[in-house]
Amino acid sequence: MATLNIKSLGKIYPGGVTAVSDVNVDIADGEFIVLVGPSGCGKSTILRMIAGLESITSGDLQIGERRVNDLEPGERDIAMVFQNYALYPHMSVRGNMEYGLKNEGLPKDQIAERIAEAARTLRLEEYLDRKPAQLSGGQRQRVAMGRAIVRDPKVFLFDEPLSNLDAKLRTQLRAELKALHQRLGATFIYVTHDQVEAMSLADRIIIMNAGRVEQIGTPMDLYLRPASRFVADFIGSPAMNVVEGTVTEDRRGLLVDGSRDIRFADEIPATAGARIAMGIRPEHLSPDASGAAQFHLVVDFVEQLGADTVVHGKVSGTTVPLAVRLSGVQQHGSGEILELGCAADQLHLFDLSTGQRLN
Amino acid sequence: MVENRPILTFLTHAILIVGVVFLCFPVWMALVASTHGPGALSQSPIPLWFGDQAWENYSQLLAGGLPEAGGVPIGMMMFNSAIMALVITFGKIVISILSAYAIVYFRFPFRMGFFWMIFVTLMLPVEVRILPTFDVVVKMGLLNTYAGLTVPLIASATATFLFRQFFLTIPDELVEAARIDRAGPIRFFKDILLPLSRTNIAALFIILFIYGWNQYLWPLLITTDESLYTVVMGIQRMVNSGEALPVWHYIMGTAVLAMIPPVLVVVLMQKLFVKGLVESEK
Repeated sequence: MATLNIKSLGKIYPGGVTAVSDVNVDIADGEFIVLVGPSGCGKSTILRMIAGLESITSGDLQIGERRVNDLEPGERDIAMVFQNYALYPHMSVRGNMEYGLKNEGLPKDQIAERIAEAARTLRLEEYLDRKPAQLSGGQRQRVAMGRAIVRDPKVFLFDEPLSNLDAKLRTQLRAELKALHQRLGATFIYVTHDQVEAMSLADRIIIMNAGRVEQIGTPMDLYLRPASRFVADFIGSPAMNVVEGTVTEDRRGLLVDGSRDIRFADEIPATAGARIAMGIRPEHLSPDASGAAQFHLVVDFVEQLGADTVVHGKVSGTTVPLAVRLSGVQQHGSGEILELGCAADQLHLFDLSTGQRLN
Repeated sequence: MVENRPILTFLTHAILIVGVVFLCFPVWMALVASTHGPGALSQSPIPLWFGDQAWENYSQLLAGGLPEAGGVPIGMMMFNSAIMALVITFGKIVISILSAYAIVYFRFPFRMGFFWMIFVTLMLPVEVRILPTFDVVVKMGLLNTYAGLTVPLIASATATFLFRQFFLTIPDELVEAARIDRAGPIRFFKDILLPLSRTNIAALFIILFIYGWNQYLWPLLITTDESLYTVVMGIQRMVNSGEALPVWHYIMGTAVLAMIPPVLVVVLMQKLFVKGLVESEK
């Protein structure tokens, strides 16, 4: 158990491709950090640099008080769970779990003790003498976790560990993982491309895009106050509505496709004529004419989900699609016009060229 | 072709049986001939069933030397063949698995250069480089030694290439997991790579043992001392025994004896080999 400090970490591959640049983050002891982003954003590269499987081009990496940039993976006191489990196929479950401990030179009775405990935690006791090929995907993943647990490392690293499993098992193992984190109280760093996984597991999320950190924050920070349009798009399901337009002369409206339907209660923090994007989550829109932003929606069709009703339509006078999530059962016909608004703190404005948040 | 017609079944079986007979007849003849006396094979018709001389022939072959083969006992020649085949097999496997390990898992200067150098030698069979190799062996004073008999045949591009291809199929994550588990290069090789290569090693063992056992030209060149003759050479010497009539019953007996070790290797190792293939590992 330890803190982890990353200072201006960068990775440039020999071919000249920059995979990661200038990542700064201080991870507290026992924190569950999720690195999330689309594929190729550098999240796995960061994890592999922390593990020591990828060399660090620039910056510093500290685990505990120790700078580990130049240490071998085995010397960093970390454990890693791989996406495809990476179990040794010729060894039994027990053999897989004890291999690292044997290499460390731990006494036999201690090894046996640790394995017994990990097997109990992960409900693997009856499988200890089986080979990985005789186990199901979920069991293999648990063995991979067991191999990490027995090492009692300072930091656990997970590289998309659930993405090879089916949806039901993924949900189940996600809950197990969360419980495991609470029980062990160790520092977890977890890579995924699935924002739901990130939201449900993380204490803090690091969201990455094209080798750069877009935002670091708690899941609710990211959800309620995305720092950029990229974060706004990535976090939340169904996805946030984003309407692109030009700020009107009085800076209280958005010109979209020649329509001036969208009006704001306050002045927009951008110059008149600037191109901006307005983001509002479907669940934050309500039939309320007094919000910080108001407009009309022409209904196309309605999805009844029981608990919610999702209304799909277009912003009046435009071809911009927009979804509204209303609670309960609501009846709306095609072509009907709804008057919608949202609260000031649920309205997100982004500069269209830089993608950065304006309000 | 899952039709179930009796005539087709009959036909396929007939073809297969003809093939088996065709392949086995020479072996059968050797077995039969080795059980007859010296005269039986020089007259027609050649006997197709076992004679009564089996005990005499084989005990003569195994115990006493044959003047026709330079007076070297068959047991001695079999022993030489076995030494040669085993040293070549183990040497080839050890050297090629180590060089493949180096080429696949270590980044050193001219790595690909070395790989191609090894690969290019695939194009040069023993016969092509036999004169320069012979010259080297002579200059090193290795004529009429086991070392001279085996060492020049140990380098193997084929086996290196085979192991390289196999190592390339081992997922990188496995190597990385081992690194995190504190396995250094030697531990990784011993604990992970070797056990995973088990079936490849078994397959290579079969092929290389037979290759080593059947070496003919090289031992013929390198040995003049009778105590180093191999059994394949022995058979050839018996056939070309100058003025005297070839002693077919002894020759066939030697051939049968020479067949036993490779057959044993195939039969015993094949079990492991097939088991390894069936037990698909993930």
